[in-house]
Amino acid sequence: MELRVIENEPSELSIEIAGEDHTFMNVLKGALLETEGVTAATYDVNPEQSGGQTDPVLTIKTEEGRDALDALADAAGNVKAKSTSFRETFEAAL
Amino acid sequence: MSEFDVEFIDRSEDDRDARFVVRGVTPAFANGIRRAMIADVPTLSIDELRVIENSSVMFDEMIGLRLGLVPLTTPPGEFEEGETVTLALDVQGPATAYSGDLVSADGMVAPADENVPIIDLKESQRLELEAEAVLDHGKTHAKHQGGVAVGYRHLQTVEVVGDLGEFADDDPQILRGVIEEDGELVPTEEFGNDLRNRYPGKEVRVEDVPGAFVFDVETDGSMSAPELVLEAVDSLYARADELEEAVQL
Repeated sequence: MELRVIENEPSELSIEIAGEDHTFMNVLKGALLETEGVTAATYDVNPEQSGGQTDPVLTIKTEEGRDALDALADAAGNVKAKSTSFRETFEAAL
Repeated sequence: MSEFDVEFIDRSEDDRDARFVVRGVTPAFANGIRRAMIADVPTLSIDELRVIENSSVMFDEMIGLRLGLVPLTTPPGEFEEGETVTLALDVQGPATAYSGDLVSADGMVAPADENVPIIDLKESQRLELEAEAVLDHGKTHAKHQGGVAVGYRHLQTVEVVGDLGEFADDDPQILRGVIEEDGELVPTEEFGNDLRNRYPGKEVRVEDVPGAFVFDVETDGSMSAPELVLEAVDSLYARADELEEAVQL
C-alpha cells in the first residue's frame, strides 16, 4: 500500500492510496464517516479506460482542530476493530 | 460484547456452502467482505506447464487453460503469495484424463474435485506433464477465485396489514431470501417463495431489517465457506493495519 499525499491542510486531506479498489476504499470511507470530527469523506476511482489517474484518491474534511491524518488513522483502527470483532463473532457461531 | 451477531441458517455437509445472517453490520462493511471473498482471498491454481508429451487433439495452451480452472485445495495461511506447488499428470489413452489423475508434490494440495474431465484420449494418445500451481488473487485471474457464488440480501420481515378484499387479484407474491418471523428465520423456499402460501387471504407488507444481511457463500472447494469468510475479513484487517501504520509514520 503506497500513499501519496496530494493535499494536506489542517482540516483537509487528499491522499492517493495505490493498489486499492472499492473493496477497501468503501469500507474505509464508511468508517471515516463514523469517525468523530470528520465532516466529509469520499473517494474517487477512475476506470482503467479513462487513462491517467486510476488509483483511488481519498478526500477527508474535518472539523477545526481535528487533524485529518489522525482521523484517518482512527478510521483504520476502527476497521481493524470491526474485523476482529466480526471474526470472533463468526467463529463463535460456527 | 460484540456489535455483531452471526447466525447460521444452513451449511452443507462438505462445508462448501453456507448461509448465515449477520446483524449490526453496515452495507459498506458487508460489501467489503463480499468483494474480498471474490477477488482478494488467494487460492492455488495451475499457471505453468512443462509438457513432456502431448499427443492429444488439443494444443498445450488449451490443456493449460483447462488445468488452470481445476480448483485445488488451499489450506489458509499455509502458503505465501507467489509460492508454487508442483503437480504431475500422466495418462495414456484410450482413457479420459481427469483432475483426479493429478499427483501433487504437497500433501496439503490436491484437486478439490476428482471428476473434472481434462481431455478424452484415444488409442495411442498420451498426456504427460508437470504443472506449477501458484498462489494468487481472483483479481489477477478468475481461476484464483475461491468464492464462486457469493452474495448477500437484506433480511426481511413480513407484516400483515389486513385482509385481502373479496375480489382482490390473486397474483403471486414472490419473495426470495430469508424472512424473520417473531425472531425465527424462515427461508422462503419453505413456502415455495410465494407469500400467498404463508399468509393466505392476507394483505402483507415486506420490509428490510436494517443492518441485517443474509450472506450466501459457495466456494469452489479450495477451502470451506467459513474459512473463506474468515480469510476475507483478515484481508480487510491486514489492509487497515497497513494503512494505520503508514499514516502514523
